[in-house]
Order: sequence, then structure tokens, then C-alpha cells
Amino acid sequence: MAPLTEFKVARAGDVALVTIDNGEDWTKPTFFGEAALRSLERALDELEHGDYSAAVITGKPFFFAAGADITEFPNITRERAVEGARAGHELFGRLRALPIPTVAAINGACLGGGVELALHCTARTISSAVRHFAFPEVFLGLFPAWGGTQLLPRLAGPETAIKVIVTNPLRQNRMLRAPDVAELGLADRLLDPVEFVDDSLAFARELAERPLQRAEADWSDAETVFRRARTGVDDAVHGAAPAPYVALELIAGAQHWTVADGYAREEEAVGELLPGPQAQASIYAFTLVEQRAKKHPHRPTAEPRKVRKVGIVGAGLMARQLAELFVKRLEVPIAIRDVKRELVDEAVAELGPSVTGGTGYDGFQDCDLVLEAVFEELTIKQQVFAELETVVSEECIIATNTSALSITDMAADLRRPDRVVGMHFFNPVAVMPLLEVVRAEETSDEALATAWAVGEKLRKRPILVEDAPGFVVNRVLTRMTRVIMDAVEQGTPVEDVDEAVMSLGMPMAPSVLLQMVGPRVANHVLERMHEAFPDRFPLSPALAALADGEEPVVLEDEPRTQQQIVEEVLEAVADEVHRLLEEGVVAEAADVDTGLLLGAGWPFFLGGITKHLDQIGMSERLFGQTFAEMKEAAPA
Amino acid sequence: MERREVVFVDGVRTAFGRAGPQGIFWKTRADDMAVKVVRELIRRNPEIPVERIGDVIFAATAQVGDQGLTLGRDVALLAGIPQSVPGFAVDRMCAGALTAVTAGAGEIAYGACDVVLAGGVEHMGHHPMAEEVDFNPRFVAERLVDTSAVTMGATAENLHDRFPHITKQEADAYAVRSQQRAAAAWRNGVMRETVLPMTVFTDDGWRPADCDEFLRPDTSMEGLANLRTPFRAGGRVTAGNSAGLTDGATAAFLAAEETALELGLAPKMRLVAFAFAGVEPELMGIGPIPATKRVLEQTGLTIDDIGLFELNEPFAVQVLTWCDGIGVDPEDERLNPYGGAIACGHPLAATGVRLLAQLAYGFKERPNVRYGLTALCVGMGMGAALLWENLGAAD
Repeated sequence: MAPLTEFKVARAGDVALVTIDNGEDWTKPTFFGEAALRSLERALDELEHGDYSAAVITGKPFFFAAGADITEFPNITRERAVEGARAGHELFGRLRALPIPTVAAINGACLGGGVELALHCTARTISSAVRHFAFPEVFLGLFPAWGGTQLLPRLAGPETAIKVIVTNPLRQNRMLRAPDVAELGLADRLLDPVEFVDDSLAFARELAERPLQRAEADWSDAETVFRRARTGVDDAVHGAAPAPYVALELIAGAQHWTVADGYAREEEAVGELLPGPQAQASIYAFTLVEQRAKKHPHRPTAEPRKVRKVGIVGAGLMARQLAELFVKRLEVPIAIRDVKRELVDEAVAELGPSVTGGTGYDGFQDCDLVLEAVFEELTIKQQVFAELETVVSEECIIATNTSALSITDMAADLRRPDRVVGMHFFNPVAVMPLLEVVRAEETSDEALATAWAVGEKLRKRPILVEDAPGFVVNRVLTRMTRVIMDAVEQGTPVEDVDEAVMSLGMPMAPSVLLQMVGPRVANHVLERMHEAFPDRFPLSPALAALADGEEPVVLEDEPRTQQQIVEEVLEAVADEVHRLLEEGVVAEAADVDTGLLLGAGWPFFLGGITKHLDQIGMSERLFGQTFAEMKEAAPA
Repeated sequence: MERREVVFVDGVRTAFGRAGPQGIFWKTRADDMAVKVVRELIRRNPEIPVERIGDVIFAATAQVGDQGLTLGRDVALLAGIPQSVPGFAVDRMCAGALTAVTAGAGEIAYGACDVVLAGGVEHMGHHPMAEEVDFNPRFVAERLVDTSAVTMGATAENLHDRFPHITKQEADAYAVRSQQRAAAAWRNGVMRETVLPMTVFTDDGWRPADCDEFLRPDTSMEGLANLRTPFRAGGRVTAGNSAGLTDGATAAFLAAEETALELGLAPKMRLVAFAFAGVEPELMGIGPIPATKRVLEQTGLTIDDIGLFELNEPFAVQVLTWCDGIGVDPEDERLNPYGGAIACGHPLAATGVRLLAQLAYGFKERPNVRYGLTALCVGMGMGAALLWENLGAAD
């Protein structure tokens, strides 16, 4: 459970100085749970009755407030959701109604309900060091329900309100930095961090003498602004998630409603949304990637090998991305090898002085870790491994970035296959947070722990996967691709297929995604999957044609409806996830979900995918129980 | 080049807090306290362009942890002073800040720089005295010093032993007077002008540190009579007649007199002479006596020429010893008119600049006074004395 948050009131001359404090350092976010609201009530009593000329509300060092405690959200009832919103409105409303000027002194991360608290103050100061200021609610399938949708447009106009409440959360939960916050008019003073609280007190005293003059919010262009915003939301979620639309309506309402009306609308809407499937799935997904993935229950316990130098075999596109990541995050010397001299020269020139390379294995002798990213062909990889084993030290860990080949086969002919481990990164490497750490049959605990630890240093979030064709993400995606190709081969127009998949809320139309990945690569992966599981992964004439640069082959004239496609995609995905669990490729459905969220960019409001499959009753129908129940039934 | 005159421009300090978890500064870093006073000093003296600061000299007795990293440099960078301005750290225990001042004065006198920022900080809560010290066993084995020399309270008991005519009653009476004078000083302007409120984070949230935590204006002889004597059973030194363990920071601007003129500053006093002296370590409290005598000899002045004394008060008996040795009445109005460390605390290396700032204020209030003395005793048997001339003195 999160530590309890208190509002501590002190007196600084004639100014009340309120600290939002949970008694922990800045690494433990300050949340507003029920206890915090009770404490705020006592603080408000003091502010209402005390003899103060102004009040400053600030956070413990380096942290303002992270908003509502989302651990109170899973399985919440409609009544509780409404009650929670109302409690916040009542207290924050009292803060807003105080007869003295109030200053929110934003000294650190300020999120969600923290921003709303600040908006209920007369004015805001922000420390120029603040880098996290945001309303992440829409990202979580919600909207700011403690007055955020009402006060932000009143303060800064609809365009800014939409940007902060709707648009930024839909862009991977983009946050604002202090200068942006001031620039947008959300903070009245941008102050140096060094004497931030003292300077904020001085500002509050100034306000007590002379009220702040602020321009009225500009609604003149509201119609265009909202129309454009709706189009943007359509492009992002295709109607699959209600939260951004609800948020837009509430922001628009702020032009005409009283604040009290606006509060009531927020309460009504949160009662709908918070217990609803998208919000519940989003909270599940958020917990997976923000908490579980960072403190993974299956993190190897063995002592990782210290990595002081890394070798990378290959200097192609993927290899170069990997080298760049290693240079930037690991800050160790890198040796690169490729048979093509010009590729190596390019890479060395591009990546700077910590990278050396050649067409041989010079510089690989003292590497602690070598990662290969050469052409996806088993014999080539085996040859590279054989060569490596004659060059590198006895202790060197050898990793492969293969996406679909058997790592066990790859290591089979080595003297020491136990040092081989899979490190499967996702494209684009700099952006995608997932790393599949793959354990082959002989992989040692040390090799596994080293791959994991290096992954963490590269700021990736690893999941543990057993060596199986396509591992997790590619296996699920390829199964889905096969269903999509099926629909195309049966005569469904590509646009209809795209539309169907987008209606689920997928981030990208399959045809666009296919062009990005490259039809040849996709077909190559399908061929590997076909070798392993011919029944479920039949070869696709349509994909093969695309891979050859031709039009997709249409075999029949029985186009599928969008609904049929959605149904078939979800069934296929459910089946494949179920098999991954049955075969023990991953320990829990949560790992599959984490993979799809972080490696494929699947939306939070599907909860990866198993939360959604549970919610629509599909897992129950197909397997007689939900994925969540399977976890509970699994041996510990 | 001729020696240049050195003037004191301005000095500030934080409020002084009780060391330890109950104290207001317990969760505040020492270097952050130093940064606070430095920034305030710069703010209060806008005529001094920061790039004209030639050196930032900071004193601390424990030069580790939040007082480590060559404090003067560290503090300068943290305070936002340009990177081109150098800095360093000094240590002469309780005379740290005074030594920062004399070192800076030397730089100015030599023309090495025009303006010096000198100060001190001691967070005795974070750095209990002698905690990180590895005392050389030779001191004991070869009887180089008496073992009592390491415990300051014990050296104060030694003073009572050596000067038996100075009684506990006199020490307590002195302590009561110090508290009364300090209480009055907080009502008049001296503290408003020299003490800078700082908002600090505590277990109770952010709170203003705006008043010294050792003030006990209702101290009485009766109250002091029965306090424990922690340094010796049946001793005379108590928490009531000594300065408590303290957290605090101070900073001052010094300048060449000609630079002060050039920048249009209003310097408050001129450094006339200074001296450091060594004495028996186990009687470290007598240190200011030879130091004072030496500055008088250097200048040809007599004690009667000095109109104000700002003496540190680690122990009442220590001040009384100085009065006894120099010939000043402990009740003399010239002596610590605003109270002393018994009432405000003594953050070792920071204290010196407090004495300077209060002397400067005392000069302002007393234009008829021409000369003033700041002095203190130093652990391991030393004394420091700086003699100043009132630049606001009526001719």
C-alpha cells in the first residue's frame, strides 16, 4: 500500500504554508487516497479559521503530488467512483472558495489530481526544474474528474485545455516541462528551484497586497478547435475508447456551465467511465508496465556478469541501432564486425570514438558480451557463433537478437552453449521499451541475469521468455497477420480489413504496419512459424505475393464483414496466448500483455489483450475460464 | 604595490538551529544553508557584480558529506555564481569563518582580488564534533596534550580549575545576561538585519527557520542552579551556561576599500589588525587573551580605545576568563550587547561572521565608537582576534 499522504500546515509569518507530504523521499509518489482527503479537510478547517493573509501549498522536496491513488480503482463500483469525484470537488471547491489568495507552489512532479489541486488555487508558481506536469487520465481511459476539465479551459482556454487533457495523453502520455507550463499560462511564475519555497512565499505575500490580473480565456475559435480535436481523437483511437470524447465534451461544456454544474457532469461521467472496461483495462495495463515491468516478479536472481565491453556482430540497420543504444546508455567501448567493410566504416563514423570495428573479430577478445544481429538464417548465425567461440574469452556471454529462429539450435554446436541467451529488441530500438530475454535449453543463470541486467541499463523493460518459435510478440502478431491475410485472400478489400483492425483500437492499420515492417520480413517470419506450427500458420499466398512486390493474391470472393474479422482476429489471438501459457513460454498472461503493450504498441484500453478478452467473455467461452483465473489457478 | 585596505561590506546568517533530529535544520543540507546565505548576501548588495567576486572562501570543521567537496567552490556553483569565480574551504574549527575572512583579506590586500565572499557553515547535527576524527594515539602516549583537550566542555571545567575565583554563580549570571540581551536584540533591529529566514523541510512539512532555537528569555539564576553538569560530576559547566550544539551558516562580503569606493558601496568597517595565538590545548578557552593582546600591541591601542567587543560564548566561564585576563568587567555594556552564543548557539566554523555582522550593526548604532574587536577561542588551544574600525564613526 502507498504511504499515507498528509497536508501539514505551518505558519510562515502571516502566510499559511501547507506541505503535501507522505513521509517518504521523492522516489515514493505522493498520492491522494481517502486518508489524504481527510487530512486535506482538516487543513482546510485550519485555513478557513486561521488568521492568514495568504496560503502556499507545496510538496515534499522534489515532488508536488501525483493525484488520485489508482490502487483504489480496480473493480470500483459506479457509486464509489461518483463519491470519490464528489469528495474531491467538495474539498477542492472549499480551497477555491477561501477568501485569501492561495498559491500552489509546484516544486516537482505534478500529475492528475495534483494539477487539479493547483488549478483550484488562486495562482501557481512552478520550479524551473519540474519535468513532469500532466493530466495522464485520458491515457488511463479516464478524464480529470476533480474539476480539471472545468477549470483548465477557464484558465487557459479550450485549445490549451484540449492539448493538456486530451492530446498529450494520447501521444504516449506526453508530459510538460516547467517552461511549457508557464508558457501555456498554467503557472503564473517560473521560479529558480534553489529558493523555490521562499520565493513562492514572497509571491503569495505580493498577491495578498495586489491581486493578479489575468486575461479572460479566449473561446472565440472554439468550434474549429473542437472539430479539429475530434478528428485528431478519431485518428488516434477510432472510437474504440470513450475517454477522450467524454473529456472533449466536458471541456466544451465549461464555456456555458457553472463550475458546480461542471462538477456534477464530471461526477456523472466518471461513474460511467471508471468502472467501464476501457478504464479498468487501462489501469491494469498501467500497473503492468509502470510497476510490474520495473520490478518484475521473474527477474533472474543470479549475479549478472559485469559488462565493460560489448561486441556487436553485424553493422546493418538493426545492428547499428543496437550499437547506438549501447553507446548511449551503457557507456562502454563497442567493437563492431561486419563482412562489409563500408558498413563498418559508416557505423564507426556515425557512432563516434567509443566504437571500433573491422571485417574480422579484432577487439572482440576482451568483450564481456557479444550480441549478434546478422541475417536471419540459422546456418549463418551458427557460423558466426562458431567463429566467436574461437575469439572471445571463456566467460563472454553470447547473445542473439534473432526474432524467430531457435536459439537452442543456434547454440547446439558450441563447446559452451550455456553462455548463449536471446536478447530480442523491437524496432525502432530507441523507442520500443520491450526486451524479450530468451532462455534457450542450455542457457546458464548467469547469461540470463546478464542479459536482463544489461536490458535494464539500456532502460528497456524485459520479459522472460522460453526459447520457442517467434517468442511472444512476433508469434501473436504473426498469428493475427495470418487471419488478416486470410480475409484478404477471401476477397475482403484491404481498406475494410484495415478499418476492422483499427476499430479495435490498434495503433496502426495493418497495411501500413506491413509496409513498415516490410512484407519480405513478415513473410520470412511466417515461414519460420509455419515450419513450427503448420496447422495454425499456413503459408499465405497473398503475403508471399506482397513479399515479391506484387499485388496480393485473392483466392475467393467471400469477403468478410468487419465484425467477422474482429471476431476471428481476437479468437486467433486468444488461442495463441492460451498456447503460450500452456506451453510455458511465459509464466503469466501478464507477460504477454506487457509484450504487446511495450513491443507492439497495443493500446492501454485493451489491457494488452487478455484483459479485453476476459472482459468480452471470449476467454471464458473458449477456455472455460478467464486469463485472470488461469493465473490464480496456476501453481505458484 | 602598496598594501590595500580591506573593508567589511555586509554579513548575514541563517537562524541558528538545535543540532539533531529535533532541530529545524535536521533535514536540510549544510551546503544548501550556505547557498541560501550567499544568495541573500548577493541580493542585498546589487552594486557588487557577481563576476567581480574574486574568491569564495567557506569554512567548515567537518569537511565531509554535505560539507565536503571544497565547500567554497561547491557553494559558489550551487548558488549560481559564475564558473569563472574560484572558491576553497578552510578549517580552523571555531575560528573557521574568521580565518576565511583573514585569508580573504590577505588576497585583497595583495591585490589578488577586489571582492571576497567569506563564510562558514556547520551542521553539527549531521556532523557531531570529532565524529570523523581519527585521533593520533601519540597525543596520549607521549602526553602531548591532556586527554581533556578533545572535549570542549572538559576544557571549560579546566578553566574553572585554573581560575578558581571565577565561580559557577558568575558563569550563570553571565548566561542569564546573555539570554536577556539576546531577547532584547530580537525585539530591536539587529536580528532582522543580520538573520535571514529560510524555509526548510522538516517532519512537519516546510517550516520557516526564522529564529534561533536556543533563545530562553526567561532563564533565571534559580533555573540554572540545578542543571546537570555533564562534563564532570559536581562540575560547574551546564547546558545553561554554555552554547548548545548548533546548525547554522553565515556569509560576508569583504572588499578592497578602493573597490568599495568604485562600486559605490557603503562599507561598515575596516579591518585594522588580526592575530591568531596558540595556548595549552586543555585550556583552549584562554586563547583569545594572547590574541587580543597581540592586536593591541600591533596597533598601539589599549583596551580602553575599544568601544565594542563581540566575543564568542562557547562557555560563560570562557568569556569570564577573557574579561579577567584583559581587564574588562563582565557586565560592561561594550561586551556582547546583543547577547552571545549561549543564547543563539555556536555552529563552530560559522560563528565568526555572526560576530562581524553584529559588530557592524553595533557600530551603526554607536557612531561614537571608533574601534571594535571580534574574538573567539579555538579547539586544540588557539585564539583569534580581529580588530575593526567603525567607518560610520563620528570624527
